Amino acid sequence: MTTQSEILAELEKIPWFRELKAEHFQRMAAIATLRRVKAGETLFHEGDKEDYLYIVMEGRVALDMFMPHRGKVRFYTAEEMDVIGWSSVTPVVHQRTAGAIAVMDGLVVALDAEKLRQICDEDHDLGYLVMRRLANIIAGRLMVTRLQLVDMFAHPDKEGGND
Amino acid sequence: MTPTATTHPERLLEPDWAEITAITPETEDISTFWLRFEAPAIQEHYRFQPGQFNMLYLPGYGEAAISISSDPDESRRLVGHTIRFVGNVTRAINRLKVGDLLGLRGPFSAPWPMDAIEGKDVILASGGIGLAPLRPAIYHILRHRERYGKVILVYGARTPRDLLYLNEYEEWRKADIDVQITVDHADETWSGRVGVVPMWFYHFRIDPRKTALLTCGPEIMIRFVVFEALARRIPTDYIYVSLERNMKCGQGACGHCQLGPYFICKDGLVFPFSALEPYFNVEEY
Repeated sequence: MTTQSEILAELEKIPWFRELKAEHFQRMAAIATLRRVKAGETLFHEGDKEDYLYIVMEGRVALDMFMPHRGKVRFYTAEEMDVIGWSSVTPVVHQRTAGAIAVMDGLVVALDAEKLRQICDEDHDLGYLVMRRLANIIAGRLMVTRLQLVDMFAHPDKEGGND
Repeated sequence: MTPTATTHPERLLEPDWAEITAITPETEDISTFWLRFEAPAIQEHYRFQPGQFNMLYLPGYGEAAISISSDPDESRRLVGHTIRFVGNVTRAINRLKVGDLLGLRGPFSAPWPMDAIEGKDVILASGGIGLAPLRPAIYHILRHRERYGKVILVYGARTPRDLLYLNEYEEWRKADIDVQITVDHADETWSGRVGVVPMWFYHFRIDPRKTALLTCGPEIMIRFVVFEALARRIPTDYIYVSLERNMKCGQGACGHCQLGPYFICKDGLVFPFSALEPYFNVEEY
């Protein structure tokens, strides 16, 4: 069981939380919990109901998708200050599109996604800051996905160059 | 720095013959070929600097430009070339055995600026076989570790199976090189990082005033590494990029490897980004 002061201490380590007004910080703190995770522990499964947005404070969390005949394919690892589960705040499919598993012992901040959506709706100033941060995260994730998609390590001469 | 000494400065198009003394398999389609010149006098005088390449010649197939991947201070003994088997020449080289001969011309190109970056923190950002031309720079740093600040190697490959020089990382780490490995894709048995090399900049703080970046790998990776370095205000004179084009003659005579006003083989392969900026990320080039 973590105390409120432990939660506050962790939230203060997050750069974009430090930019929040005191009132906004308190509202975010009120929906946050801390979760210690062991290597091998699942945070969520693909297909789960979306319930939390996670911020990795320590350790490494892998995201993977199950592919028939191939098993789980790992496509991203989140580390300190990375956010995972962002689709819980902008839900489209209302279920997890990937699974998340800790590959190292670690610590995550879990923000109740439903309450986060609610306070963003109620306070658009806070909602803008949260969504702007999420837009940055999604843009970074999109860049990574594009570089993976272009398969940059494939050699252009693979099918028969001269050298 | 060890000076460069070509095999025949007066006859740069004529190869010398070198015997394959060992072949080290690195991945499914990459091996390192260790060469020793047939003529002991040539071996004795041969010198290269980190980042340079040789033209390897196999009669009947042609020549290929291959980066030198071994320790520059060991050049009197052996010269290593890490080769990916992707074209006619390199696929034919893959069929050679220990004891077979290869023609060798070189070394060519401007090297990594190991003297100019002394006193700096050094980020070595590489992907795929791009680690091969950086390995001599790593060996140089290992031999002169006190001349450099923090040294971080960020290395990416397509999958864990495609990582080069796996058995050397531990030794590099012991010498206080921070080795950060990432792969594009993995299965669930891989507990390392999954992502791409430019992503490394999201997680680590650098002091741009005292940081130099050396980068080599797929050009699209280099482009995004440079974007991230510029976003963190590393000066363009301290961002060094190793480029590849269609190198043929090795001396800026044939024009196959031209990029803007430069012949990559002669003016590069290593450029400060300040020189490349007008031609970088421009489709025509």
